[in-house]
Amino acid sequence: MLAMKNVSKIFKTDLVETHALRDFNLEVNEGEFVAVTGPSGSGKTTFLNIAGLLEGFTQGDYFLDGVNISNVSDNKSAAIRNEKIGFIFQGFNLISDLNLAENVEVPLRYRGFNAKERQRRVIEALEQVGLAARMKHLPSQLSGGQQQRVAIARALAGKPRFLLADEPTGNLDSLMARQVMALLENINQAGTTIIMVTHDGDLARRAQRNIQIVDGQVCDFSLYQGQDLSATKEAHQQVNIANKPVAV
Amino acid sequence: MFFYYMDLGWRSIKKTPYLSLLMVLAISIGIGITITTFNVYQQMNTNPAGERSTQLFAVQLMSQGKDTWPDINAQITYQDAMNLRQSTIPTRQIAMYKTGAAVQTGDANFQPMLENIRATDSDFFDLFSVPFIYGAPWDKSIDVDAAYQVVIDADLNQRLFKGENSVGRELYLNQMPYQVVGVIADWHQSPKYYDLNNGPFSDPESIYVPLSLAPIEEFESWGNNQSWNTENIRNYQEGLHSETHWLQYWVELESEQQVQDYQAWLQAYVKQQQGLGRFERDDARGEVSDVQAWLDFNKVVPEDNKILVGLSVLFLVVCLVNMLGLLLAKFLKRAPEVGVRRAIGASRLQIFAQYMIEVAMIGAAGGVFGLLWAWMALSLLTSRFKLGEALTQLDLSMWIFAPMIAIVSTLLAGMYPAWRICRTQPSIYLKSQ
Ligand SMILES: Nc1ncnc2c1ncn2[C@@H]1O[C@H](COP(=O)(O)OP(=O)(O)OP(=O)(O)O)[C@@H](O)[C@H]1O
Ligand SMILES: [Mg+2]
Repeated sequence: MLAMKNVSKIFKTDLVETHALRDFNLEVNEGEFVAVTGPSGSGKTTFLNIAGLLEGFTQGDYFLDGVNISNVSDNKSAAIRNEKIGFIFQGFNLISDLNLAENVEVPLRYRGFNAKERQRRVIEALEQVGLAARMKHLPSQLSGGQQQRVAIARALAGKPRFLLADEPTGNLDSLMARQVMALLENINQAGTTIIMVTHDGDLARRAQRNIQIVDGQVCDFSLYQGQDLSATKEAHQQVNIANKPVAV
Repeated sequence: MFFYYMDLGWRSIKKTPYLSLLMVLAISIGIGITITTFNVYQQMNTNPAGERSTQLFAVQLMSQGKDTWPDINAQITYQDAMNLRQSTIPTRQIAMYKTGAAVQTGDANFQPMLENIRATDSDFFDLFSVPFIYGAPWDKSIDVDAAYQVVIDADLNQRLFKGENSVGRELYLNQMPYQVVGVIADWHQSPKYYDLNNGPFSDPESIYVPLSLAPIEEFESWGNNQSWNTENIRNYQEGLHSETHWLQYWVELESEQQVQDYQAWLQAYVKQQQGLGRFERDDARGEVSDVQAWLDFNKVVPEDNKILVGLSVLFLVVCLVNMLGLLLAKFLKRAPEVGVRRAIGASRLQIFAQYMIEVAMIGAAGGVFGLLWAWMALSLLTSRFKLGEALTQLDLSMWIFAPMIAIVSTLLAGMYPAWRICRTQPSIYLKSQ
């Protein structure tokens, strides 16, 4: 469903060039639940942003559903985000002036659904996260865990086939985190492909597949299964040394 | 989507009520001032003669003596008016001037009132296309053999005869009985191009009498007079033969040929008068001007007024630049929200549209308030400076024009802020709250 081939992303600022991703290769199949871990600053968010078409990249090819979308127009990428992809962010990012129903409705508006269809889907999505009763509440009236569930409902309302979550539990306590994780697992079981970045090793282990990003490159654990791990460790260190940001 | 954006715009406006009010106020004051000056300009700048404009000509004669002013006169003398009638070239021609008299009816209880009168020829009404409700102009023969007949306007007819068909009825001017032969409809030319010497935006006269009565009834001129000669005028008859300019003269010329013929005739007339010892200047001549040229000659639109319109547009621009700054600050604050919208499927164009619609709503409100300011300013001008209703009436077109320029100009001001915000890179605002 998703394939990145030799993708590189270089952030240029006045002083430094940062290689956030370099020769990044990854394939994710339909229905997978992929947990992404890695040290801070290794490029996890950058990868998710590129996967979600929120950001362009410097080199390489990105195929989504077999289509190369390396150079799509803004209109087209907005439509792809809207129809195929759901986002969940660490900071929830609900729109504070809009109540829960209106927040969940936002992607449906851009999708051009009629009022009836919108309402049906909003209620369905909010029921799925157990917050239908509080539809008219403002985000500020909810706890963090509840807000994140609304954000999940918003991501689900458009029935995307592909869910990208960047540390969805990062701002939640462990109980809340487990609830949200359970919700994501249910969603995955219903057929949605999920890529989730997390720092929580326990949660990561619950996912069907784990990948680690280290200094802009993938270390897919599934590839190493049954292998001598000391070699991997050495490889990591070498990558680490090679990929330090370089001053220009 | 339009209504969704309207809803979002309205929420956003409500969220920062004072800022929004400030913006509406800024734009409305700019629009108000622009509309006020432009309205006055437009009222001054219209040519009410319409398609007749190129067939009607004001006649001017440079009849003054040596060592006098070098400009051609806007009005002519009574003796020239009588002489010009001899030409058979114009399709129609009339002389006229403004006067006035005390009006009474046969009813002894009726309070006499002072009314403005226009003394003119019967062709006045056809020449200027004056519409009649009842009756018709007096007969052409009366322009030569005076008779006590009048045409009155609908308003006076209402006051004197309760609006009934008054043809054949009597009224008294300076205690002399006159027979009503016609009632004209409400006829208000603005500018009053047929007599620009007596206030281009003054109201029309309510009574029209045959000019042929002037020597008999000795109607005084109530308009502006000019004279270059220091004559000692002892009575009305001497005034008629003096060099005082106090009449307006109009001819109707339907073709280019007719115009040329008439111009030639005028030059011949000037020559003839020079032979009699009048028209002493070397550059003595006669001229005809069609309505537009006549309006220009009389500087109905003063230069100041054009400058004023320019200044007020400049002021509007200043208001808009201010607004641009306020909008930019306001919109950029919303970047995180825009980041979310972009992430969940809004294209740049959709974000741009959303913010442009918010701007248009502010513009529309500014336009409505601007119209209100303009209306208030014009009422104030009317009451303070007695400018005459014609000039300070808010033109109907302004009701569409004002909101339109308000919206268009705010959209122009909002374009840059909306463009900036729609270029928001979503990923930057999504990392943390
Ligand atoms: N907009 C940007 N401009 C310049 N450099 C950037 C930008 N965004 C990210 N980077 C750099 O790219 C690298 C990867 O950043 P990224 O946000 O992907 O890390 P991460 O793996 O998500 O880290 P964390 O776990 O702390 O969220 C970092 O070195 C970061 O400084
Ligand atoms: Mg990150």
